[in-house]
Amino acid sequence: MADISVEGTELDGAGEGKRTETGGPDYLASLKLLGRFLPGSRLAMGGAILLATAAVACELAPVVVVYKVVTAALSGTLGPAYLAGAAGLALLAVVVGYGLMGLAVGLSHVVAFDVLCRLRLALARHLARLPIGWFADRKSGDAKKLIIDEPESMELIFAHGIPEGVSALATWVAVSVWLFLVDWRMALATVAVTPVAFVLISTGMARGARRAADYQRAGARMNASVVEFLAGMAVVKIFNRTGESFAETARAVRAYAEVETAWAEDYLPLGGTFYALVLTNVVVILPVGAFLMAAGSLDLATLVLFVILGANYSQPLMKLFNQFHTLAHISMGSTRIAEALAAEPQADSGRTVALASHDVVFDEVSFGYGKEEVLHRVSFTAPAGSVTALVGPSGAGKSTVASLVARFWDPRSGRVTLGGVDLREIGLSQLMDMVAFVFQDSFLFSDTIAANIRFGNPKASDAEVEAAARAARAHDFIMAFPDGYATRLGDRGQLLSGGERQRIAIARAILKDAPVIVLDEATAFADPDNEAAIQEAIGELTAGRTLLVVAHRLHTIMSADQILVVDGGRIAEAGRHDDLVAKGSLYARLWRDYTEARDVVLKPAGVSGQIASEERPS
Amino acid sequence: MTAIDPLVPVGEAADADVHSDLASLLRVWRLAGPLRGKVARGVAFRFLQSICLGLAFGGVVWTVTGLAEGRTMDVGWAWQLTALMAASLCGQLLFGYLAARDSWLASFELAGDLRLSILDHLRRLPMGFHLSRHRGDTVTALTSDMQMLETFLSDALGRIAQAFALPIVAVLWFLSRDWAVGLAMLASMAAALPVFMWSSRRLARLGVVRQDLQAAAGARMIEFVQGIATIRAFNRLAKGEESFRAALEAFRDLSIRMVARLSVPMALFGATVMAGVPIVLVVSGLRHGAGAIDMATLIAALVLVFAVYSPLLGLSQVMELVRMADASLTRMDRILTARPLPVAARPAEPQGFALRFDAVDFSYRADRPVLSSVGFEVPERSMTAIVGPSGSGKSTILNLVARFWDVSGGSISIGGADIRTISEERLASLITVVFQDVYLFAGTIFDNIAFGRSGASRAEVEAAARAAQAHEFIAALPDGYETRVGEGGATLSGGERQRISIARAILKDAPIVLLDEATAAIDPTNELAIQKALARLVAEKTLVVVAHKLSTIRAADQILVLDGGRIVERGSHDQLLEGEGLYHRLWQTRSRAAGWRIK
Repeated sequence: MADISVEGTELDGAGEGKRTETGGPDYLASLKLLGRFLPGSRLAMGGAILLATAAVACELAPVVVVYKVVTAALSGTLGPAYLAGAAGLALLAVVVGYGLMGLAVGLSHVVAFDVLCRLRLALARHLARLPIGWFADRKSGDAKKLIIDEPESMELIFAHGIPEGVSALATWVAVSVWLFLVDWRMALATVAVTPVAFVLISTGMARGARRAADYQRAGARMNASVVEFLAGMAVVKIFNRTGESFAETARAVRAYAEVETAWAEDYLPLGGTFYALVLTNVVVILPVGAFLMAAGSLDLATLVLFVILGANYSQPLMKLFNQFHTLAHISMGSTRIAEALAAEPQADSGRTVALASHDVVFDEVSFGYGKEEVLHRVSFTAPAGSVTALVGPSGAGKSTVASLVARFWDPRSGRVTLGGVDLREIGLSQLMDMVAFVFQDSFLFSDTIAANIRFGNPKASDAEVEAAARAARAHDFIMAFPDGYATRLGDRGQLLSGGERQRIAIARAILKDAPVIVLDEATAFADPDNEAAIQEAIGELTAGRTLLVVAHRLHTIMSADQILVVDGGRIAEAGRHDDLVAKGSLYARLWRDYTEARDVVLKPAGVSGQIASEERPS
Repeated sequence: MTAIDPLVPVGEAADADVHSDLASLLRVWRLAGPLRGKVARGVAFRFLQSICLGLAFGGVVWTVTGLAEGRTMDVGWAWQLTALMAASLCGQLLFGYLAARDSWLASFELAGDLRLSILDHLRRLPMGFHLSRHRGDTVTALTSDMQMLETFLSDALGRIAQAFALPIVAVLWFLSRDWAVGLAMLASMAAALPVFMWSSRRLARLGVVRQDLQAAAGARMIEFVQGIATIRAFNRLAKGEESFRAALEAFRDLSIRMVARLSVPMALFGATVMAGVPIVLVVSGLRHGAGAIDMATLIAALVLVFAVYSPLLGLSQVMELVRMADASLTRMDRILTARPLPVAARPAEPQGFALRFDAVDFSYRADRPVLSSVGFEVPERSMTAIVGPSGSGKSTILNLVARFWDVSGGSISIGGADIRTISEERLASLITVVFQDVYLFAGTIFDNIAFGRSGASRAEVEAAARAAQAHEFIAALPDGYETRVGEGGATLSGGERQRISIARAILKDAPIVLLDEATAAIDPTNELAIQKALARLVAEKTLVVVAHKLSTIRAADQILVLDGGRIVERGSHDQLLEGEGLYHRLWQTRSRAAGWRIK
């Protein structure tokens, strides 16, 4: 699909633009997204929240107990029985509290896994209904990232965000209320440091953010440089230039370290202070308490309570702060998923239409990927049962024409028809039954060979599967495996050579028995020793069908009924091989280059003649 | 500050060798090298920060004990306390800042240094090392693994120091007052230690298990995504979704089962630590009742018990960082322990450029020989073509000449000198390899061609481009030779990129050319240009070619027919055709393919 690789993703670029305009991540993106898949887990989530809140109550109980014991000790009423009761209560609270927290965490994970399962399923369903072009526009890893990696990172929100966030919030509210009820002056002393700390960290982060762009640039530069250092290693070694290549990468690494350091110098005075301040509420509580006691308006027991409770006052806020950060961290991924879910599925008429014939007709078809138009008013007819070949220079638009037949995209203007009916009016299901394509690189599933062939027709019998394999010249090598047709293919069929995989893909297409067949460089990447077998297999596949074939090896299409020469997104000429050669135009030139290329011989000692041929005008 | 989920597996920690937490600390310490001082200072400052916080609690104890002994609070004392608290605060802020500064800067510096030394090591490793592993793994080691190490140094180490500082000081102080209260305080910590080690090991082990299972389930999900086009083309959406749903649900059920097993140890650790509260309560209460400790010590124990235990609870999260750092270190170790190819003490100088394989054996893995006793000679300025079925070891021969790997047995020599005794630079100067996959660097076309020879002039680069049939299309680009290629640069067709890489090779002008002939079809015009460019490149050279084109094979002075890692036939085209062996068969199928037409 060499011709389809385009850099423009304008169609989906709108979302990206919006994001940069508003600036900053949408912190709530993840919550909004996951909220859509929450129904069904509401009860479990409510349970997790309740359990986590109960756990917090249990966590605070020992504090109350210790406070009561202190009071008792000060008033001299502390006896062994009281102690035993208090200790028992505290122990119970600890055990129950952690038990509840364990349950809450467990339950919230269940919620998380359920929600993610629903999200992924919905996403998979949706992706499967997008135009295939949506995938061709993206890197191969993008869909995987969307469906596997991004949701994985969202697990944190439900699995930990719920129990920890809720318990942190509950603790903070409970402690604050309690402290203010006991003594509002001491309560103020307790909370005094906390806002200062959070103002500091926000300022610190804002200061650090000024370098965010530098930081990101330096990081991207380093990553790119490392990737290139490794990707180009073989070339670098052959040309003995490791020194230079290393020097550039080393510069990128040093630059990154410098930016990191500069960022830290900016951030540290405030950020570093924050981490000290959030731990140290007690330094305000004690002096204020002392002065209040000196004034006679505070007793010892109350002071003790504030010291015990106040010392960790900022901790729950820290936890909330961290949760907030997690949200920010994964918001980009959520936004991307939301965008994918919002992408328009391919329009499907859902109808089964009676087709008069299997002629494929392009009628003034224009098409482009981004702003740029790739095909300009292309018109031709591929009559049923004939062979139409598309040839031309790289980037001319041949593969684009082929992909429009399979409705990977829809034309911008004009129409593609099958049997006289616009492809958009034919239900996708019917269209897919009508058209089979074989590409350079065939996708096989990690399943048995038989299952992969049967993919072409689930109702096929074993005998039919074998017949298809024989026709595709695949039977012999399949039988050479100990398990024959039951052989399981590994990850993406790596057990097989490229040519063998191609023949399985052809067997699959043969079994499908579609009247229209599109071959896009189907033999191109196969090793030469497989080429003959693949060619025979293609011969079986295409017999008596409407065939569109994209080809560079011109001899293979010499006897095509019609050759379309594509150049710059237009059909430059059309006709049969002999006529086009006689015409002496673009095809004739391609043909001359093609035959001449076969005649240029690599020969260390006999090269002089070739150098002369190079000087020939072309 | 990254939130960490202990239930989410760490990177690809599939290395079952789970280290103890202490061992991880030692590994980092060894790596720290000259930065050890700074790292240690960072930890020490963090410790001091906690001690200063302890000072504040000392003030609390002072107040409570004084008041319990009957002293009354007055303004003077309140001022003294205020001064003490101010001192404590200043100390905490100062040491907190210094700790963060030292440990952060040290971590950045260390990561930078380590990246450089790993990169330096990587370039000395044989190409075989790079080819035999996923490039992504190496990139990960240099990027996210290193970030993990930074987090560990800047964050985890300090938090460990912080977690222990206050408890240690408190326990010591109580021990000095009364052994029983001190021991009581220590009891739950001592009990928590084995629980901690058990749960941390269990988490690590389960993490690895979950990861494997997750990888398996993930692979099935990924397959659906990658196969969407095929699934749709065959109208099998329902079936595809069904199997995707099955994989997804299996994964979910598995994750839920794992959570049940994982939450127990985590809760158990917390409960064990906090069980110290009732223990201290009872022991100090009873000791007070028995008259062993005074009221002041009792109250101090009760007031401090939470301050002592709560930092320890944070340890379970820190240990998560340690575990992740450990997995990262393991991946880095795999690179750092790989050995570069041996270098000859006294480099030999080849006499001429004839190439000779002498009973060469080679295998990537001991049980699977790739080449077995392969012997042949390529005279200077002659051409040898290697043919054979896919997987017969053809490309391996080229890779061995370039010394991407060293032979397992036998020897390869150039001009009579074993290539293992030729210096790396000299060997690189002798050979040029033209790969099937073209690699162009991010940079201008000029840079990419000039890469072939240091200090090449503009005229030389242009001459090479002309010889490689590339000058015309380069000159037609708006920026000509200054056109940027690679990531984000101009889009060149495969054939154009191929010609730039040939120009680079022509500029290098090495006496031996190793060529892996392309199998991919490109448009006829590009193909002709490439063919001419190659003809120019190999002129007057010693040429070894993995050949696919019939014309190339036929022109060779010597054809080696490889099958299953052995040379099964050799000779000229005419000699071999008479043999009616493997070559004869290969030739026939290829000739048939060359004459094939659709319909």
